[in-house]
Amino acid sequence: MKGKMVIRFGLVVGLLMLFLAGCGRGNEDKTTFTFATWAAGTELSEFQEIIDKVNEEAGGAYRIEVLSIPSDYYVKISTKIAAKKCPDFFWLTQELISKYAQMGVLADITEAFENSETLTPDMYYDGVVSSAQYDGSYWGLPWIANPMILYCNKDMFRELGVKLPTEDDDWTWQEFIDTCRQFSGKEYKGNTVYGTVIDGWPNIETFIWAGGGDIIAEDGQQIILNSAEAKKGMGYLQTIVKENLSPRYAEVASLGDNNVWFEKQRVAMYFGGIQDNFEKKVSEMSADEQFEIAYAPMPVCDDGGAWSFDWTASTVMAKSLEGNELAYEILETVTKAFFEWKVAPPVKDSLENVIQIDPNKEGAMKTIEYTMPYARSANYIPEWSDINDKLWYNLYVSLLNDASFDYQGKMDEIKEYSEGLVKERK
Amino acid sequence: MKKKRQRAGFYFVLPWLIGLCVFTALPMVAAVYISMTDWDIVGNADFVGLKNYITLFSTAEFVRSLWVTVRYAVIAVPLIIATSMTIAVLVSKNYRGAGVFRVIYYMPAIVSGVAVAIVFKWILDPSYGLLNGILSFFHIQGPDWLYDPNWVLPSYLIMAVWGAGGGLLTYLAALKDIPEELYGAAMIDGAGTFQKVWYITVPLMTPIIFYNLVLGIIGAFRKFTDAYVLGGAGKEGNFYMVYLYEEAFAHYRMGYATALAWVLFAIILLLTFVVNWTKKYWVYSE
Repeated sequence: MKGKMVIRFGLVVGLLMLFLAGCGRGNEDKTTFTFATWAAGTELSEFQEIIDKVNEEAGGAYRIEVLSIPSDYYVKISTKIAAKKCPDFFWLTQELISKYAQMGVLADITEAFENSETLTPDMYYDGVVSSAQYDGSYWGLPWIANPMILYCNKDMFRELGVKLPTEDDDWTWQEFIDTCRQFSGKEYKGNTVYGTVIDGWPNIETFIWAGGGDIIAEDGQQIILNSAEAKKGMGYLQTIVKENLSPRYAEVASLGDNNVWFEKQRVAMYFGGIQDNFEKKVSEMSADEQFEIAYAPMPVCDDGGAWSFDWTASTVMAKSLEGNELAYEILETVTKAFFEWKVAPPVKDSLENVIQIDPNKEGAMKTIEYTMPYARSANYIPEWSDINDKLWYNLYVSLLNDASFDYQGKMDEIKEYSEGLVKERK
Repeated sequence: MKKKRQRAGFYFVLPWLIGLCVFTALPMVAAVYISMTDWDIVGNADFVGLKNYITLFSTAEFVRSLWVTVRYAVIAVPLIIATSMTIAVLVSKNYRGAGVFRVIYYMPAIVSGVAVAIVFKWILDPSYGLLNGILSFFHIQGPDWLYDPNWVLPSYLIMAVWGAGGGLLTYLAALKDIPEELYGAAMIDGAGTFQKVWYITVPLMTPIIFYNLVLGIIGAFRKFTDAYVLGGAGKEGNFYMVYLYEEAFAHYRMGYATALAWVLFAIILLLTFVVNWTKKYWVYSE
């Protein structure tokens, strides 16, 4: 009796598992594709509108279905990949492209991209297109660029008698620091103000580039974090912390996000992405709280480039679609549609789109124009998340908390650790 | 007839049994295998034997996160038990308004962990936080709390004490079970309030303290939500579960993260056995 029961139980479990296994995708409708996005709320509605329009224009040749993942995006994407249910198209930020490419999740689109008649690599800004490159191949089409510029409080500059940098000034990091010195500790509108605010933003790449250095060499193999240039760049950050040119790290969060320091007129300059909508926020303030915004490009780094960290994202395609011409056509069509959606389109000769998308940016156009050729992301490699973890906790935060911290020794240490990770790469 | 009844019983428990096998037992077996692989969530999982377990014990981050968690557990668990029990004793009497206090003290248990973390982010803010505001009223310069590595643990302990009312229900139930005659007899013998609590209440509450101790140890070692949201300077808020999560979903080292999960399971199991073994020395049983 017991034996029979065990057999029955086994059969039931077996049948259930077969049922569960069969719950996966059945016969693929090869003209229907899923597109995963982290967009939510208004952004999702706008995204859906674009997709609807693309679907309509396709005239039934294909259909894109939106898969909205507004929270825990990457956890859910990776879980879907593990369950072999990778979305056909999805967004990836620049630092993850090399990792996903190495994991074998993404379709290599190099051939289609280079031979395209309407969207080729040379149409993009160099710093943007390289963010979708790893190991000599292209793994996605960048659809957005959000390089960093400096937002300045023009009224504060005027009131405190400090010379305002011009919209396309070739000012250096040393000059930037000197400008900060003229603000920090002074009173403005009843508050003590600072030159700028730094609390982990701008990211560490910005400072390392400032001295003319970098973290990872272009070959994606060598770690060059310990170069004299990289250390010099971190030295700029040390000066800012040491001389209290920014509010204390522990103090920044007290107003909420770091950008609030600029909005509340507590800092003269703010490192922001060109997408930041300070213009709109300020225009909605009461008359006595409003102030005039001026723009300046990032200071020129010691290697002569006014490098601006550019947050970019690409639309990538699942590995299973590699070589699928229809899928690539969709990827290209959707990407081009995005160029008219977000600031800033990552392709050259499209800056007029910026004002069409956001008329508030008219005053920033000269700076944006100056910045775009210098906009770039770091040379991200598959081990980046691990390296970045060390850079953030063990270097950046430590220096923000204690200006006397031996950051140079730590940079040597992280370099060695990172090299170990690269050596272990599969 | 008996066999028929047995069969009927079997069919009744069958859905649960299937659920247990498919959703618990099988994933556990799979997790044992995954912990012995080098798997980045995609593609084949390469079998590496015990490598993940060996690597783990020589990794500084593992040791550090375990140390952060152990320190927290060692202080937080007794602190929570003592606070929870004290509150229970205070609100167990049927004086006017006792019900309101019971609700107030129990409320933290029903609030979402993320919401609590966000509120505490403000409470512990060095410049404009409630806590430093109160301290400055007494002319005390408050610390930087979560922004100062030395004050990260105390910050989490404050949050733990705030949520100590979660165990209130079990303590209140246990207090109600203590026969009133015992207190009456003690009073006749001239026992004071403290003596009554120490010699009657506490010993008779030991079964429930034991229960809360085991749950407290499990909870402390699995601390995640507020630590994930708030973090802490110098990685002092990098509790074991946060480390595990990051290894799995930020660095995509699924095999290694699964090994971490098994080690955590082993630690909790061992501690539960140890606590269970000590039971005979301090837990009251009739």
